[in-house]
Amino acid sequence: MTTNNASPVKQQSPAQEFFSATRDIAPLALGVIIYGLAFGLLAAQAGMDGLQVGAMGTLVFGGASQILAVERLVAGAGAFAAVIAAIAINLRMLLVTASIRDVFKGRPVWQLLLGAHMTTDENWALMLATRANGRDVGYWYLVGGGACLFVTWLLSTTLGVVFAQAIPEPKALGMDFAFTAAFIAIARSLWRGKPDRLPWLVAVGTVAACLLTGLLDSSWSLLLGGCCGAVVAGLQTDE
Amino acid sequence: MSDTWIVITVLALATFSIRLGGVLLGQKLPVSGPWARGLNALPGCLIIALVSVLVFSGGQDEWIASVVALAAALLTRNLPLTMAAGILCVFLLRQW
Repeated sequence: MTTNNASPVKQQSPAQEFFSATRDIAPLALGVIIYGLAFGLLAAQAGMDGLQVGAMGTLVFGGASQILAVERLVAGAGAFAAVIAAIAINLRMLLVTASIRDVFKGRPVWQLLLGAHMTTDENWALMLATRANGRDVGYWYLVGGGACLFVTWLLSTTLGVVFAQAIPEPKALGMDFAFTAAFIAIARSLWRGKPDRLPWLVAVGTVAACLLTGLLDSSWSLLLGGCCGAVVAGLQTDE
Repeated sequence: MSDTWIVITVLALATFSIRLGGVLLGQKLPVSGPWARGLNALPGCLIIALVSVLVFSGGQDEWIASVVALAAALLTRNLPLTMAAGILCVFLLRQW
């Protein structure tokens, strides 16, 4: 680290940002372990081996979509239906990476490729919540959190498929609720007050209307709800 | 099992394209006006939509635990504590 006595803004070096993220993301990584073990159990039912689970985790790196795809395969839906369902659940990542464009602004191509692949719901949301709490974090915080989750995901899913027989059902421990609780805490951090009131109400209302009436499934309801909220925010002029 | 490898390959390509597509799209959209306001509000709207999907897909236990987790989030603004409160609540409710 270079000593700079004339800098009023406390800027963290990339390494400091990276490793502060790997610390901050620990509770979420714990949730990922449970999720990963559950995925390993499912993959074992689908007849997948450690290599396939490792390759899928490395190349796809999307928990919900992996679970959905393998669940569809186990259900006998076929490869095409499995892929379509999993892509539908991942379409939200387009909005997720678009919504943090300042993080990617002016970065070299290899950092765009790395950052894109390392973006998941959890480290994206953690970065936003950390910013909302007043800390100036960006690209390396996102990538640090993502790298920690990446290693955690690969280890837990591979262990899950190899030791499938010895793992307890996560639902019995209430651990399946870990991410719901985490995202509630993160939503609370992201709340900006009055300008969010109508957009958030529209987002929740849209999801409720689509899901509770059975009009759309959960991944399309999520996308539509998020978009409708953002559109309302875009059209709001009294700021 | 070749079906599995097909799913892995196609899903990996599609998912990476989606992620990178968002990165590139974000750089192309205007930096002020309605588009920028919408994009700034998008993270919060997506998170609250995600929470809504998770809560509405659950049963009564999950509804109650969500209220407990929200109370913990409002009182503590602390991520691990909120997660612990929610998990403990759902665990206890399922014991009955």
